[in-house]
Amino acid sequence: MSIEVQSNDFIALADIALHNEDLQHAIGEGTRTAYYRRLDTMFAHSDEHGELMRQQAAEAKRRALRELPDLLEKAERNLKKNGYQVEWAEDAAQANQLVLDIARRHQVKTVTKSKSMLTEELGTNQVMEAAGLHVVETDLGEYIIQLAGETPSHIVGPVMHKTKAEIRDVFVRELNMAPTDNAEEMVAFARRMLREDFLSADMGVSGGNFLIAETGSIGLVMNEGNGRMCTSLPRVHVALIGIEKLVDTVEDYATLTQVLPSSSTGQKMTVYTNILNGPGRAEEGDGPEHAYVILVDNGRSDIYAGKYAEVLSCIRCGACQNACPVYRTMGGHAYGWVYGGPIGAVLTPLFVGLENATPLPHASSLCGSCKQVCPVDIDLPRMLLDLRWDLVRQGESQASWDAAMKLWAVGMTSPRRFALGGKAARAGQAIMGEYMPGPLGNWSKHRDFPDFAPKPFRQLWRERRRERA
Amino acid sequence: MNARDKILGKLREARRPFTEVQPIPEHRHMIPTQDFSPREQLQLFIDEAEAVGCFVYQLDQNAAFEQIMELIGDDRSVMSWDENQLPFEGLHGMLESLGVTVAEHNDGDVQVGISGVNAALAATGSLVLESGAGRYRATSLLPEVHIALMRAEQILPDLETWQGAQKDAGYPAFTESSSTTVITGPSKTADIAHQLVNGAHGPREVHVMILG
Repeated sequence: MSIEVQSNDFIALADIALHNEDLQHAIGEGTRTAYYRRLDTMFAHSDEHGELMRQQAAEAKRRALRELPDLLEKAERNLKKNGYQVEWAEDAAQANQLVLDIARRHQVKTVTKSKSMLTEELGTNQVMEAAGLHVVETDLGEYIIQLAGETPSHIVGPVMHKTKAEIRDVFVRELNMAPTDNAEEMVAFARRMLREDFLSADMGVSGGNFLIAETGSIGLVMNEGNGRMCTSLPRVHVALIGIEKLVDTVEDYATLTQVLPSSSTGQKMTVYTNILNGPGRAEEGDGPEHAYVILVDNGRSDIYAGKYAEVLSCIRCGACQNACPVYRTMGGHAYGWVYGGPIGAVLTPLFVGLENATPLPHASSLCGSCKQVCPVDIDLPRMLLDLRWDLVRQGESQASWDAAMKLWAVGMTSPRRFALGGKAARAGQAIMGEYMPGPLGNWSKHRDFPDFAPKPFRQLWRERRRERA
Repeated sequence: MNARDKILGKLREARRPFTEVQPIPEHRHMIPTQDFSPREQLQLFIDEAEAVGCFVYQLDQNAAFEQIMELIGDDRSVMSWDENQLPFEGLHGMLESLGVTVAEHNDGDVQVGISGVNAALAATGSLVLESGAGRYRATSLLPEVHIALMRAEQILPDLETWQGAQKDAGYPAFTESSSTTVITGPSKTADIAHQLVNGAHGPREVHVMILG
């Protein structure tokens, strides 16, 4: 049971977002702030150094992918040496079943969860809840999302689309918070509520930002400290980690764990850069008694075999979302599944099937910002173009588009017909204004059509030649 | 065939080059460090730690004790690493003589936690804490106020330097400790309308005392 795919409703969902002024304001401010903070941090020393760090990070991920099967075996050996029990899951059903089995084995009732995009993909929360477990999201943003019954709209800031007043209303409605407009009071309120869950939970479920093969360690980054709580206080810790999260060496990890927050929030390091190495040792006074790592495929090995394999380098920093002019105007929900923005427009068709996400490869102006800001240099614009090509080959292109292309070909093959076409278009725009007729109406409903130049180039050229003469 | 072998089998069949990004000529540190004198490095650590919201003090043991007592205020108990893990001999006895007891390390009601550090990183103003005997995870996590006691000699240039030292020692922070955490400032969140608020779940205040 994973979350419902609504990506084919992209246009309708985008329309909703485009008519929500609060959302537009919140997303606009959130993405722009992060965008500029990234620039300040990544290029604090020099542009050249920042670019070289991007390349160093990208190379570390490509090398790990090249050696992926060997590194997974190496990681498994070293995870076991550190005391982890290692499980493998081919898909969401297997992964979620493993989580339930572990919960049952250890008589778990309450689960605290730290933020994980993979578990959003797998629908792990819903499965645990259906099995009668009490599940609490503990990242503040995810907690608000869970209370509101929504899904995250941004990889790093799940509640980026909500204003302060909307968040207050969620707390008041769901938890009887005394109304306040003070963000500090809201945070203090959530801290009190969640503290009880942290101290009483039997099992903590987390993701993993990195899996270090060389030592069998999990790298986890966070600012709030909730992830440390989830992985330190309960008796049982379960980490669900995608098989693409591997890095070979601790040196690679040191690069990536700094490039990630620098690209994401513009922090040199997150407040907590955690390295987890299995259950609490006998001589230690705390830490979980039982620690599990579930290595999850869920479609990744299929992507690995195809021409989009480099997308598996993604470290989920959200920089492409912050940079994308399309994402910036409507946020992540319009993309209709777990991942929004340029990375979502590529990942979603690959995970759920292109036929279930046909509008997404077109949800981009191909401006190239996403590749430019990507800390591991994924060529997202090229992938979006390739996905469009795949759509055409799968026969998804429309008859009207084919007809338009034929008409265009007719017009382009004769100078006289070309001039006539230009005149007709100019006259058409004068009559219709910004709305286009027929099948083009859908296009112009969601975009501003640029005005035609008052004089065509051919006429300007003639006039210029006359002046010179 | 089990899930593990199926996944590995599929990956092995599909091996791809992933060569479109070349290695750079020389491995770089994220924050280029210069050849700082110990004094300059200390100053950089202080500046960076303060920039992320820590309170940093350079003081002798007596002044540190006064500062600690001021932070404890009217509380009658603190959380603490075991005394042999702190660079402050006799601290627990001094606290107890003033009626402040050292609580269980997982007591959720205690307001102040006192730890040492295993290293500190100048370039990012970070503290490295490795779990171990007498070095509890909860001390730097559950209380509202975290006091970290350290010495200037523990400061390293950056995360990469620490990683190099770990490598030379056989990666104890990755294999012997069950949890190593690099702390950079107090717990914070910006989830509510992008407004930065300290004390989300972990300590609201981090006081770094460099003992001389």
